[in-house]
Amino acid sequence: MTRLLKNSLVRFSLGLAAPVALLLLWSAQAEPEGARSLAFASLDAIAAALVQLAASGQLLRDALVSLSRAVTGLVFGGVLGMAVGIAMASSPLVDRLAGPLYHSIRQVPLLGWLPLIGLWLGNGDDARLLIVSLAAFYPTVLNTYEGFAHVEKRYLEVGRLYDFSPAQRFRHILWPAALPLVLTGIAQALAFAWIGTIGTEILLGSGSGLGVTMATAQAQQRVDIIIVAICASGLLGFFVNHVLVLLRRQILRWQGAHQ
Amino acid sequence: MTVQPHIAPARPPATQPERGALTIRNLSKSFQIDGAPFQVLRDINLEIRPGEFVSIVGASGCGKSTLLRLIVGLDTDYDGEIHLDGQRVTTTSLDRGLVFQDHRLFPWMTLEENVGLALLNTDIPKHRRAGVVAEHIALVNLTGFEKAYPHQLSGGMAQRAAIARALAASPKLLLLDEPLGALDALTRIHVQTELQRIWMQQRSTMLMVTHDVEEAVYLSDRILIMAPNPGRIRRIVEVDLPHPRERGSAQLHRLRDEILAELTGAPVTRSLIPFPAKETHS
Amino acid sequence: MTRTLSRLATGLTPLVILVAAWQAASSAGLFPPQVLVPPVEVANTLAELVSNGELARHLGQSLVRLAAGFSIGAAAGLLFGAAIALSRWTEALFAPLFLALRQVPVLAFLPLLVLFLGIEETLKIVIVAVAAFFPVALATFDGVRGVPRGWFEVARLYRTPLVPFLARILLPATLPPVLTGLRIALTRAWLVLVAAELLAADSGLGQMMEMGRQLFRIDVVLAGVIVSGLVGFALDRGAKQIERRATRWRTA
Repeated sequence: MTRLLKNSLVRFSLGLAAPVALLLLWSAQAEPEGARSLAFASLDAIAAALVQLAASGQLLRDALVSLSRAVTGLVFGGVLGMAVGIAMASSPLVDRLAGPLYHSIRQVPLLGWLPLIGLWLGNGDDARLLIVSLAAFYPTVLNTYEGFAHVEKRYLEVGRLYDFSPAQRFRHILWPAALPLVLTGIAQALAFAWIGTIGTEILLGSGSGLGVTMATAQAQQRVDIIIVAICASGLLGFFVNHVLVLLRRQILRWQGAHQ
Repeated sequence: MTVQPHIAPARPPATQPERGALTIRNLSKSFQIDGAPFQVLRDINLEIRPGEFVSIVGASGCGKSTLLRLIVGLDTDYDGEIHLDGQRVTTTSLDRGLVFQDHRLFPWMTLEENVGLALLNTDIPKHRRAGVVAEHIALVNLTGFEKAYPHQLSGGMAQRAAIARALAASPKLLLLDEPLGALDALTRIHVQTELQRIWMQQRSTMLMVTHDVEEAVYLSDRILIMAPNPGRIRRIVEVDLPHPRERGSAQLHRLRDEILAELTGAPVTRSLIPFPAKETHS
Repeated sequence: MTRTLSRLATGLTPLVILVAAWQAASSAGLFPPQVLVPPVEVANTLAELVSNGELARHLGQSLVRLAAGFSIGAAAGLLFGAAIALSRWTEALFAPLFLALRQVPVLAFLPLLVLFLGIEETLKIVIVAVAAFFPVALATFDGVRGVPRGWFEVARLYRTPLVPFLARILLPATLPPVLTGLRIALTRAWLVLVAAELLAADSGLGQMMEMGRQLFRIDVVLAGVIVSGLVGFALDRGAKQIERRATRWRTA
């Protein structure tokens, strides 16, 4: 029986079974006589909403705005995070000073900062960007620190044998050796930045963005629009993550099979 | 049987700077283990002539690797004197190269990049570097693999690459720390032959630590036998056989057996005339 | 003992310096009161909230929701993860849907759930459960799949009966990754709960902070931030301790 599973066609159809069942269940609920038709939108309504959002360009606009927020936050938080991570790994003094600070700030749940930042920076883009950057900052610091702190000493010895200057040591040994973990940090940072983006958009719903659309749709009780936005955010997240995976494979092609 | 090694008499000052003359006098080193000093090396004295191939053999724990690290400058805490061509050894330098047992090629660089990094801080002008790299890759018979990453190379190939890298910087003295220890027996024989060929071609001064006595006898002009606890040179054996050496030769085997016997503590049969190797003892 | 004390001291020093700088900046009037309020005032507010029971009420509500949602989500995650790890058919059926849903950030489900469930307690508990479900399911899957095939074979060779097999072989083998997954899920759950309370609640730590924001009471907001941070720290630390004790047999 298990041999059946090796057939990719069988696997594919099986994989579809659950989503299809879900859709059927959903449709049933959305029928006029269904228990909660108010909350459920029928599948055609969802399809119609999709077409409408796509045609009006709103879907694309929302997607791009959310994506650009996430990426901007990723860049800010990521670059700062890398700098802090490298500093902490290179200098025990910095590590002892910055470490506890970083760990305490990290304990506050990300969106818990929102009211505070809201008071400081209002409801606009600045507040959102700060939170998204913070979301990207944490995993980057952690992973960059791990990467740089655990560069194998035996490679550093080779650098000493060939009279490497500190710049050469960084460029030819420290950076490439730490890169796998740094890239892991960036991938995690992206995931968190995406969560932060959608989260802040939902909570500070103004302007464009997938989260904003979701919040507005919720207020208007438009389940169909929400579903479209959810799917879009899932797809977008998957797509960007996949790009990162491909990038990683290319950058780290020296690693070979054992990784 | 502990015999004091013989120190060659001081040479008259040369008119040309010698390449790779190593002089060690009264070298000692201790580690602190749990607060108590542990002497790893005691009173090492030796001289290596330029162009020589010298091996150090001995049981584990006799400080062979430590000695190499001190000579190459990775470790600078010792008592005594280490001089290369008259200059005191204080830290690492391109004058002295080291090949490790684990090849330590940078996994993130291709073969030619790895060899190239040896040249980064040399005086060789940039436009000539590619040529030097290619030369040394050819020297170890790895032409064609320039763009390969270390994980794509076999153990033997990687070690040859490490040798190429070390030689690319044209060190006066090349140290090798059990370079073939991680390779399987067949590969080891192959790389030994390569190493002999390379050395004959370049006549660099080489000092190799190995636990394989046959390897030492095959490659070296002189063999230093070390004893442990504390590490010291017990005997220096001269191998006066012509290069290239024949693996199957009876003299080679006899010498190997003798040295092995000494290392493993078996009684030395006095009736065996140790010919053609000359024992040096005072 | 002295070592931990001195490590604690070096750890706390930068924080102490920070608080001192904060106090100095506030007293010097460098920032308007909406932006920064002296730590003393925050401490007072905290004390007030504790004494009049407000903090206990809000914190209690949050923790109850967290406990309820986390237990449900983690339990479901354990069962689901184990199920798809042990049975190839279940995996083929449910893994694709699971992985697809996982791509969506949990918070994105918030508006949808609000429409379905309103803003009552159920909403918070459900979203916390969802937040906890995914990391636990994934970790359980990894853990169970990671058990070397050889161990099953040895068990069969010795004809180990089911219960001892589960208790003494499978469980300890899967415990480390599962515990790590539980810890991550706990942090994730706490994050999502606070976010949900910010949006739609009438009590809870998140709601307390949101109220503070709307009333421009930055001292309340800061107090909330500190408390939520402390809770996050306690949860993380507690989870790490359990993890460490349960996996003592594991070599580093």
